[in-house]
Amino acid sequence: MSEPVWGPVHRDIVDLLADHPADVPAVVDHLTKLQDLLVRLPPLLHSNPLADFNKLYLTITTSVLDGLYADRFVDPGFLSRLDVEFAARYFDAMRLWSDSSPGTPKAWACLFERMRGPDARPLPSAAAGVNAHINFDLPFALVTTFDHLESEPVDGSDQHRDYLEINKIFADKIPGLRRGYLERWQLLIDMLNGDIDDWYQGELIGYTRDVAWRNAQRIWRCRHDPHLHERERRRLDETAAALGRLLLSPLGAFLQ
Amino acid sequence: MASDVDGTPLVGRDDLVATMRAALLDDVAPGNTAAVFLTGESGVGKTRLLREVGERLGDGGALVLTGSCLDIGDASPLHPLRQALRRLDADLAPPAAASVRALLGVFAEDTAGPDGAGALLERVSRGLNVIAGGRPLVLVLDDLQWVDRTTRQLLLYLLAGLGDLQLSVLAAVRSESLQGAHPLRRVLTELRRLRSVRVIDLAPLDRAGTEQLAAAVGCRPLAPEAADRLWQRSGGNPFVVEELSRDLRDGRDGPSDTLREVFLARVDALPQPAHRAVHAVAAGVEPVEHWLLARVVGLPEHDLLDAVREAVSHRLLVGSHDGYRLRHRLVAEVLEDELLPAERALLHRRYAEALTSAPGELHQARLAHHWRLAGEPERALPAAVAAAEEAERLYGYAEAHRHWSVAVQLAEGLPGADRTALLGHAAEAAHHCGEHARALALLEELAAAGTDHPACELHIRRARYLTAAGRSALAEAEYQHALDAADCTPRQRATAAAHLAELLLQLGRYADAGRRAREALALAEPVDGATTEVVRASMALGFSEAYRQDPDAGLAVLRRALATAERAGRPEDVALAYLHLAELLTGPLNILEEGVVVARRGAERVAELGLGRTYETRLLAIATNGLFRVGQWAEAEKVVAAALRHRPSGTDAVELLLARCRLSVGYGDVEAADRDLDAVATMLAGGGARHVIPLLTLRAGLAMWQGRHDVARHAVQRGLTETRSDDLVILAVLVWHGLRAEAEAHASRTVAVDDNAVRRLREIADRVAGRSERAARPVRDVVEGYLALCAAEVSRLDGADPELWARAAAEWDHRNHPYPAAYSRLRQAEALLARRRRAATAAKLLRQAYQVAQGLGAVPLTEEIRTLAGRARVALEERAPAGAARPAGEGDELAPLTAREREVLASVAEGLTNKEIGQRLFISERTIGVHVSHIFDKLQVRTRVQASAIFLRSRP
Repeated sequence: MSEPVWGPVHRDIVDLLADHPADVPAVVDHLTKLQDLLVRLPPLLHSNPLADFNKLYLTITTSVLDGLYADRFVDPGFLSRLDVEFAARYFDAMRLWSDSSPGTPKAWACLFERMRGPDARPLPSAAAGVNAHINFDLPFALVTTFDHLESEPVDGSDQHRDYLEINKIFADKIPGLRRGYLERWQLLIDMLNGDIDDWYQGELIGYTRDVAWRNAQRIWRCRHDPHLHERERRRLDETAAALGRLLLSPLGAFLQ
Repeated sequence: MASDVDGTPLVGRDDLVATMRAALLDDVAPGNTAAVFLTGESGVGKTRLLREVGERLGDGGALVLTGSCLDIGDASPLHPLRQALRRLDADLAPPAAASVRALLGVFAEDTAGPDGAGALLERVSRGLNVIAGGRPLVLVLDDLQWVDRTTRQLLLYLLAGLGDLQLSVLAAVRSESLQGAHPLRRVLTELRRLRSVRVIDLAPLDRAGTEQLAAAVGCRPLAPEAADRLWQRSGGNPFVVEELSRDLRDGRDGPSDTLREVFLARVDALPQPAHRAVHAVAAGVEPVEHWLLARVVGLPEHDLLDAVREAVSHRLLVGSHDGYRLRHRLVAEVLEDELLPAERALLHRRYAEALTSAPGELHQARLAHHWRLAGEPERALPAAVAAAEEAERLYGYAEAHRHWSVAVQLAEGLPGADRTALLGHAAEAAHHCGEHARALALLEELAAAGTDHPACELHIRRARYLTAAGRSALAEAEYQHALDAADCTPRQRATAAAHLAELLLQLGRYADAGRRAREALALAEPVDGATTEVVRASMALGFSEAYRQDPDAGLAVLRRALATAERAGRPEDVALAYLHLAELLTGPLNILEEGVVVARRGAERVAELGLGRTYETRLLAIATNGLFRVGQWAEAEKVVAAALRHRPSGTDAVELLLARCRLSVGYGDVEAADRDLDAVATMLAGGGARHVIPLLTLRAGLAMWQGRHDVARHAVQRGLTETRSDDLVILAVLVWHGLRAEAEAHASRTVAVDDNAVRRLREIADRVAGRSERAARPVRDVVEGYLALCAAEVSRLDGADPELWARAAAEWDHRNHPYPAAYSRLRQAEALLARRRRAATAAKLLRQAYQVAQGLGAVPLTEEIRTLAGRARVALEERAPAGAARPAGEGDELAPLTAREREVLASVAEGLTNKEIGQRLFISERTIGVHVSHIFDKLQVRTRVQASAIFLRSRP
């Protein structure tokens, strides 16, 4: 095979990904180490699409960790599990991409492909990562977490409240996504005309995270049926990938 | 995905085969367990590797059982294991097969009982033990992504070592399935941390491997151009490489680029009878037995054989001794577009008819499946019901729920069907397998369907489901509705009130709980046979009184409940009454000695009543923890060993393993502690967040004795991020462990102190202190003990304060827990000595601590005390100098030994080895080693002979 996927830091990234963090402090640690490696990737030192996303993700996860220590959530056991499961999917996607596996989720592949340029603007790149992570990974992370805790995604439960609490963290940490950016993003999504038909006037993250919760409930109902579950997974992957590609297209640049 | 045995060489996997053999057999210590999980995309060669490794393990002397999981949603519980046993049965000579038949018989029997599911696991492991006959057992499972819940639990139970079986598991999982929300994801993430488990990701072949395989299939090396093309098209996937090379060899290399096109071309080329056979297999549940295929296809014997042979040679079908399968999922996809719905329905009808006359594996499930797809709901319904009942008999509630749901659907529009009853069953099964929302939805449907359904019963059921789902506010309202319902019988009213009281107790609303419990008692007393309600209400009342500072009243209530239960004579009621009484005494009341006595007496009593496996085990767990706290560790060790002999499963097993591990950590037996921690982690991989925190606490405690303070810090951090802020006791314990780890790091200078962590821990300690002021008295008492330790540990970071340690010691003395008290005295002495003050007091404290630590057998604590005493030149024992005349009274020579050490020494004197002593005393060989070295130390001897001589000399 030709050049390694992660260029000069390929070995380091593969070694790092061999570890599977099991708790939130370990996830933060993992993302920090990953950030140190990602900024060393040519050709766009210090600013490449994945590093842009990873940095944002690290900031958010650190806030979640602080929130856990500071008694911010009702059911920290749930939120910790969710955070770990959520991150695991990002690391899984990177691992699959490292192996050049055709199984890499399309939602992520469209971001990874852009690692070598052409230049993508940091904000749309970070947004593309957020898109893949929330629209594709999050519903499955939710289902796995509820399954493991022998609980269920029920509206209005303690877990649902904690889940919504994260929206505030997102809102705090992504001011750039809130202001100005949103309206234009909405415009794009209208143009996409895809699966998302019940778009409402609200904040981007709040909206997509709500979609993720609904999708989790949907997957929850068919989780014992491998065929239905797989169909659902493909559908979400396609939707998220379409959005991601759009964000990273020249069109995405006008967002910044 | 099965492929056939056709002599294609295994390419590029030699190292892997050797690694797996070592991991599963050669490197497994006798009595231990191991597992390899092979993940990889379909076609990458997992099945082939399973077979190769399975054969090697068989050659190496292991008994290999092979089964595969099925992807039909309506499979039955433990299917892969039953299939594996049936295959083994077919391979063995009749006399050897008797044990296999006996185990297969277990699945057909009724195992109903209070702990049916656990008892089933135990009987299965016992049966496997007999079959293995001392050989290592290997369970090879293919397509684990489709495993049923019961099999998953069995695997974890066996891998945790609870089945007492030397077992290795080799399983293949399709990696595509692990994407998304598959439950195995979690299981594998947890298991991969264990030393005995490996998760191997099977990669595609590299370019050289691809060419080697192609050359082997084509019988000659490929031309460079063809090799390039093959590499690009296959991506190194061995299955694709093989299929493409075969087409190339046979001159069928068309423009087809994808595997799908390859299969499409082959299906097109198939003669008509073979075509029919392939379609028939595609409609069946694999493997399709030959006789069954013959009935469905309806060809004369010879024609059928020709047809099948043709399909196999076109590499669309695979034949093995148990039947036919499609070669690849893609074949099914290709075929799907070819058949008209009416044709497919006809095939299913044929299957159903053939199966009706000849029952076989998965009989009812398959019948229901085929009749349903044949468009015959009225014939599918009885089969679905039978399949659901069969699944329930084996505690496969998830499968049962699916069968009941199918039955509900089938019954729609069928005039004679009792849909209400089916809904009731479906709801109950959903409730049992944790599908709470689904259970509630089914119940709503039931309420809407049968207008004459009794309202009270519905309310009680709804409340039960809501409680299980953790939706307490709604559950409370439902119990209230039940109590208000006009059709409520006195018995139901008592039931609802007692459950409501219990719920309120769990919510910490003690005053309300007490009021409801009194009401429930008043309602239950006049009702004949309502003992269960009396016991439940008494529990709620007893605990709520205890939490509201009237322990005597609470105790009296539970004692009365026990007497009532004994009079009524229902075993479960007696057992529950004992359980609650023992919990009350050892829990909130902290009357440990009495609690232990009650627990042990209860254990004996319930064993007489035939509830050994369940309630005896639970009562002994309570006794063990009580004994640990009052400092009777040797006794605790005996009790826990006795309890584990019942081979408990689930939560009971986890609690006992944690109790045993707590002892091992205290003894400083790292290996035994690690083994139990791994076993608990294995069990928890299947779910059960409640026990994660005790696991982390023990891990931290063990790490500190090993000087691995950073490991301890990490365990505590994880615990803190996963604990609810109202779990005050758990938080206090964690914070103490965290601060102690930092203080130890500071003292030993091996690991840097994490100032950030210290700051955070202190914040949490303050928060806990603030909240505990509003907590119930018993909770506050425990929390204060730990907070005293916390404050003292903090002082160690900047000039230890002996006063704080004195306070901690006093707290724990007061609570009657000698172990933390001794630890506090050690630290107090240390602080005094560091300030060079009151050396005499320090010496006294050290001697007190030493005596306690010695008595417990707490090796690491003793060591620390000794080290400090050595540095401070404090004599710990007032013993005559060596060589001087021994004091009068020969028996005194053994005085420094603990009761347990004396027992060990008695066995040493009999000439037993450590292993034999371990077996006799139910403790690990390793622990015996620790005891023996202790004995040598105390008696100041170097050999077993010298020790035995002293023992024999000093016997009265």
